[in-house]
Amino acid sequence: MKRTNSHTMAHIHTLSCGKVYEHLCDNLDSQLDSESCRRIKAHIKGCKNCSALLDSLKKTVTLYKVHPAPKLPGKCRQELFAVIKLSGGKKNTTR
Amino acid sequence: MKISPETLNDAALIAKVKNGDERAFTLLVKRYEQTVWGFAFKLCRNQEKAEESYQDTFINVYRKIGQFDSRSKFSTWLYTIVANNCLMKRRKRKLDSLLESLDVAPDMESEDVQKQLAGWDDSPIETMMNKELREQMDAAIQELPSDYRVVFVLRDLEDKTAEETATILKLSIPAVKSRLRRSRIFLRHKLHSLMTA
Repeated sequence: MKRTNSHTMAHIHTLSCGKVYEHLCDNLDSQLDSESCRRIKAHIKGCKNCSALLDSLKKTVTLYKVHPAPKLPGKCRQELFAVIKLSGGKKNTTR
Repeated sequence: MKISPETLNDAALIAKVKNGDERAFTLLVKRYEQTVWGFAFKLCRNQEKAEESYQDTFINVYRKIGQFDSRSKFSTWLYTIVANNCLMKRRKRKLDSLLESLDVAPDMESEDVQKQLAGWDDSPIETMMNKELREQMDAAIQELPSDYRVVFVLRDLEDKTAEETATILKLSIPAVKSRLRRSRIFLRHKLHSLMTA
């Protein structure tokens, strides 16, 4: 397999970028520690392209994680209880 | 000593709801409404639809609590109801060619792919989050077919494990992983132009 400019000398091609691509998303979950995962991580460490792709995937997920959601409007619970004809806890019906 | 219903665990509270205890139901709603609301909103990215989903979910819980098998986690059952609600409301769309093409590894050395990889802004996330990006993110996630979006939201935003996600959606773990992978790459692709501007 040819060595390209985007790979460091220390990065031996034990895996192709294509193979790593197939498992790249599993690699976002860093708890994975199998032999194949270690090989994927080693590849990414030495491969500029796979590393850039992984970083941008992580950033995508982080952006969605921090994307704010509005608070639950107060009216929702009242409307729900009205629909199913509940008092919303004001009246104690516990047996 | 009298036990306050607020301190009851889920199993005890659900047992009361199954016996027709309305106050126990209101407590169950209060305990889980943020979970339902948050999940529904992340799936819809639309306030009105999320409100509708919130109401439909708890009406379903109220009507079908007798069917809940107390050996499983209540939250898992709840997530399943919200997800089904969302999936039913949205017509399943055929996978578009872009989503399907994401299974094929690109040629990392090609010029086009190099352009796609280069230059993602490394500024802190907080400084990047502006109106334009938020709108682009909302548009991108809504372009994902709902059966993919629900996997992305459960795994990456609700932090459910692959096993929990598979249980909630009644999918195999490989199917969860495949949908998550496609979803992440699809969303990354959709945000690329803004991230490199």
